[in-house]
Amino acid sequence: MLTVEEIDAGYKDLQALWGISLAVNEGEIVALVGPNGAGKTTTLRVISGLLKPSAGCVLLRGRSLAKEPAHRIVELGISQVPEGGRIFTGLTVLENLELGAFGSNARKVKDQSLQWVFGIFSRLEERQRQRAGTLSGGERQMLAIGRALMSKPGLLLLDEPSFGLAPLLVEQIFQMITEINRQGVTILLVEQNVRAALELTQRAYVIENGRIVGQGSGEALLSFESVRSAYLGSS
Amino acid sequence: MLGPIAQNLVFGIMVGGLYGLAAVGLSLVFGVTKFLNVAHGELLMLGGYAGFWIFTLWGVDPFLSLPLVVVCLVLIGLVLYKLLFARMVKLTEENKIKNTLLVGFGLSLVFQNMALRLWSADDRGITTAYSGQALTLFGVRFPVVRLASLAIAVVTLLLLDLFLHRTYTGKAIRATVQDWEAATLMGIDIHRVYLLSFVVGAAVAGIAGALVSVGYSIEPAMGLEWTLIALIVMVLGGLGSIVGTFVGGLVLGVTQSLTSYWIGGTYREIVALLIFLVVLVFRPQGLFGSKEG
Amino acid sequence: MTGKRIITLVLIIAVLALLAALPAVVSRDSIINMAVLVLLYVALASSWNILGGYTGQTNLGHAAFFGLGGLTTRLLWLSAGWSLFPSLLAGAGAATTLALIIGTPAFKLKGVYFAIGTLALGQVLNVTVGDMFPMITSLPVQQLVSYQLLPRYYLFVGLAVLTVGTAYVLVNSRLGLGMMAVREEEEAAESLGVSAFRHKLLALVVSAFLAGLTGGAFAFYHVGYYPQFLFSPVWTFDALMMAYIGGTGTIIGPIIGALFFVVAKELLALRLVEIHLTVFGTLFILVVLFLPGGFVQAWASIRRALVRQLGARGVRLASRRQAS
Repeated sequence: MLTVEEIDAGYKDLQALWGISLAVNEGEIVALVGPNGAGKTTTLRVISGLLKPSAGCVLLRGRSLAKEPAHRIVELGISQVPEGGRIFTGLTVLENLELGAFGSNARKVKDQSLQWVFGIFSRLEERQRQRAGTLSGGERQMLAIGRALMSKPGLLLLDEPSFGLAPLLVEQIFQMITEINRQGVTILLVEQNVRAALELTQRAYVIENGRIVGQGSGEALLSFESVRSAYLGSS
Repeated sequence: MLGPIAQNLVFGIMVGGLYGLAAVGLSLVFGVTKFLNVAHGELLMLGGYAGFWIFTLWGVDPFLSLPLVVVCLVLIGLVLYKLLFARMVKLTEENKIKNTLLVGFGLSLVFQNMALRLWSADDRGITTAYSGQALTLFGVRFPVVRLASLAIAVVTLLLLDLFLHRTYTGKAIRATVQDWEAATLMGIDIHRVYLLSFVVGAAVAGIAGALVSVGYSIEPAMGLEWTLIALIVMVLGGLGSIVGTFVGGLVLGVTQSLTSYWIGGTYREIVALLIFLVVLVFRPQGLFGSKEG
Repeated sequence: MTGKRIITLVLIIAVLALLAALPAVVSRDSIINMAVLVLLYVALASSWNILGGYTGQTNLGHAAFFGLGGLTTRLLWLSAGWSLFPSLLAGAGAATTLALIIGTPAFKLKGVYFAIGTLALGQVLNVTVGDMFPMITSLPVQQLVSYQLLPRYYLFVGLAVLTVGTAYVLVNSRLGLGMMAVREEEEAAESLGVSAFRHKLLALVVSAFLAGLTGGAFAFYHVGYYPQFLFSPVWTFDALMMAYIGGTGTIIGPIIGALFFVVAKELLALRLVEIHLTVFGTLFILVVLFLPGGFVQAWASIRRALVRQLGARGVRLASRRQAS
């Protein structure tokens, strides 16, 4: 479904990604794990078009996204939940969700999408009239994910959905992610919480210093010695 | 004793409504695009002359010609954006504010000089058949023209508020004010949002200018004073709230009006500027002030 | 490097000699008046440049310092009967005092807020002076009878030399280095132990002193005007435009800008009616958008391109010679 081929990218004079390649198949959950500053977020930004690569290309179902501006890529079916959620705190929960369905196709089926999102995150339905700024940390993350789902994406990019949440909430969010995937949304997940991510996913890529240094099934990577020692804190 | 005070209060509110209108345009553009267009007062001036000439040449009532004024300013806004401001969209926020300030500055010179050459330095105002009429209530005069101007200002602001809160595009504008990158991830084309805000800001400035030419008077050099007024009201009212901006306008109008009653006419401008400086120094983040949320 | 220095030195001496000899060469007052205008703008734009160009603080209230200097000088010189130089110094002192008073609150404002704040401040003084001094100020009859252009011309020569010289010495000192560090990256400068506030204040004070002196010289030069005229934002805008068109943050930029401004204004005024502000406004916008370094930058890139061209031709010639 998504193919990333030999991407170089960076900010100004600072190159952050070096020949990144990865692939996500229809229906999968794939994780991209690695330490802080390895280039995980930058990779997502390239896929969603916020950052244009200096070399290489991103293909969605075989179609190049090189010339598509970021707002078009959403309409083509890739939706990103940015790091920290970045919900619109001054707008109501409902308005946030409506904006998720901004594209013309998504707007036509907005009411169905809303029912779908409320089905997954019932808390959001209760709070739909509140200003998003009044939500708790977990609810904000749910809103961010729900908002991204409103565009009816084929592929959902999740950037650190567990960031800053209590362990119990992390488990809840991950269950919801599994549920979303079961309902047919392909997922590319960026996580620092490596163990939880690898337990959740079928496949994972390990990124370090802007390069892919390993890949395999989640279970295989869990037993992968360097991953264990580097990220799981066990020797 | 109370009579003159009440009278000045009423006059202050009437001019304050126009201040609010002038500021809302600037504040909308600044909030969305981070363009600090200091030629905003000149857009007001152009709106004033548009209304004046439509009335003088074709005899169209200044209140009826408002849609035509809006069309003129929309076109001017479009051209300015496409020709100049669109080039500054990609700068960092700090450079964007600085460069738009400088470009706006050059624009204000150009517009002022052109208006001076084309229309002379004379004070102009629209005098209709009903210009002299006024309602009197408890001994306080309500000039019909200014009353109508205030009403139009309020209606314009309400419509703008409805637009921003009830329509999809309006919500997209508010989202862009908060976080343009997250807005992009919603599929919002922020360049279109920028263009739209800029043009709407110009149109609102045009309405304000036309109303000034009816109730008061216009001249080519009025721009700087109105830009400053809009900035002051924007700081007083805080960014992101139309009602707040409108109230800020009323406060400034009343303050000025009472100052000129108690101290003297020439100090109205100074008082406004001093308030502005004090607010600016004690709330240096003033312009970014109370964002939504 | 030393060769370049010698050329610069020779050029400076030549310009000074030309300025000194100008009245002997041309006798027409209109030319001398134009030269006075150029020198006035050189001083005004260069003084603006110290704070606006080198320290990166866009001052939109420069006219306040110019005006205060002019107002004080004129009052002391004409009304209080002081002699000229003490009056000029007092005028510059008044401008400096204003700078010291507003410095602390003004530099609480960063970036664009400083610009807006100084714009408002300039307007406060503009309106106040217009209110307090509504009458035109004219030279009294005995002054008019003995009015001589040449001393005034040489006063402006001295003023321009003083301003440009001060700016040169300042920006080539440690203090100037600190000012430029503040312009480039205020926080980084602070972390290196450069006090941003002190450097900004120093730049403001020097800039205000020189602007006040320029205003005083104008008050000595001009026959009759409304006191408010000296506080008009036009003085700020002109200085800013000249500095930008010539090239901010360079010594030569404001000089080129001033020369261009006055000459082009004269030429335009001859051919077209008063539309020079439209032309300059447009030019200014173009410079901001496409040529942020002004004429100085344009010249540098043209020269680089020329050198590259000539260099390439030189290499080709050399290789051809070798081949033959």
